[in-house]
Amino acid sequence: MIRAFGWNEVLFIVMALRWTLALSAIAFVGGGIGGLAVALARTSSITWLRLITTGFIRLFQGTPLLMQLFLVYFGMSILGLGIDPWTAAAAALSLHAAAFLAEIWRGCIEAIPPGQTEAATALGLPWGTRMRYVILPQATKIAVAPTVGFLVQLVKGTSLAAIIGFTELTRSGQIINNATFQPFLVFSLVAGLYFVICWPLSFLATRLERRLARATAR
Amino acid sequence: MTAVDERTEPLNGPAAPSIAVRMEGVNKWFGTFQALNGIDLTVKRGEKIVVCGPSGSGKSTLIRCINQLEAIQAGKIVVDDIELGTGGKNVHRVRREVGMVFQSFNLFPHMTVLENCILAPTKVRGIAKAEAIATARKYLARVHIPEQADKYPAQLSGGQQQRVAIARALCMNPKIMLFDEPTSALDPEMVQEVLDTMIDLAEEGMTMVCVTHEMGFARRVADRVVFMDRGEIVEIAPPEEFFEHPHHERARVFLGQIQRTHKPADPATPTI
Repeated sequence: MIRAFGWNEVLFIVMALRWTLALSAIAFVGGGIGGLAVALARTSSITWLRLITTGFIRLFQGTPLLMQLFLVYFGMSILGLGIDPWTAAAAALSLHAAAFLAEIWRGCIEAIPPGQTEAATALGLPWGTRMRYVILPQATKIAVAPTVGFLVQLVKGTSLAAIIGFTELTRSGQIINNATFQPFLVFSLVAGLYFVICWPLSFLATRLERRLARATAR
Repeated sequence: MTAVDERTEPLNGPAAPSIAVRMEGVNKWFGTFQALNGIDLTVKRGEKIVVCGPSGSGKSTLIRCINQLEAIQAGKIVVDDIELGTGGKNVHRVRREVGMVFQSFNLFPHMTVLENCILAPTKVRGIAKAEAIATARKYLARVHIPEQADKYPAQLSGGQQQRVAIARALCMNPKIMLFDEPTSALDPEMVQEVLDTMIDLAEEGMTMVCVTHEMGFARRVADRVVFMDRGEIVEIAPPEEFFEHPHHERARVFLGQIQRTHKPADPATPTI
């Protein structure tokens, strides 16, 4: 029997939005922490740290997110960690975000004039203090706009977690469509909900970019 | 107690060694380019050295090696009795004792003048914030800009920024000050205020190594002028001797070029 596409079905899809948001938030926090560590290692003067992190970034930027999800999902079961879509999706998306954020933030760190590092070094500030008080506060200002821009990509990227059985927005759309056979209606709603989240973020990113352009205009 | 050296100035304790910086056979390469070739130089405590020479002669590299902004590949540098070799050991200890002023100021733009001045004393020396602020205000007054303490660097003129940079370095209470072409990035009308600050500092007995083309400053302040060319020290002499009777052809050529662009109004008085 074909189910009708009514309010209950709409509500089911809308409620799944929270899992998309939760997964995005976890991936963003995990990716942010990992990304900062990788960005710092990538800009360090220690060669082997730089090589390892460059390899990590290349690997995750050079493979599809879908494959990363598959590999983490099935890799976890091979390692005997059990099959849990939540953990797998969170881990895969965090690693993915870490690689991309690291590369964005590396650019921001390297955009700070070398004279800043030299002055801080000459004052005797060790690496950690230099980063925390001199380099990162300046790099953060440049980083805000592209980081928000990447967040949009990340929110949309969570839709791929549907493939490994994680019930977020896209997966809930598939479930409802399987019961109602109203693909156009269902996926219009799903797409519309992504848009409602992503458009304000894109708008914010553009505004932040303009504000930064004004602030750094000479 | 060790005997008080006759050169010892009020800034230095009586037990301080009489040699501030000793460089022995220092060699520095950038890839295959040899930037410094067999540098031997001793700077006594309280001494003022002016380093000059054509661009690319290695003078900036020389002073950047003293606080190890550049690593050296051969030789030995002893700063305030702390030995620096090629391995990078003791670097942090040396940097605390050596202040540096750069051509492009390099103030931290996201911090106020006062925050610029107290960052290193509080984070590196562990001095309490209130004390660091008091010290910073003292030095800002000494470079004649106490009223700018709460402004951001971008709100100041070039000359004021460079004086903040000097105050910031002094807040670490350094034993030696390095100046890397401190007036080269300044508009002409601001050069004097920075030079005056440096002259004050010199008169208080600070050990100074200055890379500069301000020959008037060199004549007035320097104990010795070091002339460099192609990574080597070609000539070391007191300023009068160096300017009036340079021994080496390369120094004569260089002085000729400098004097063409920095012609003093009256040759009898220094142009500062």
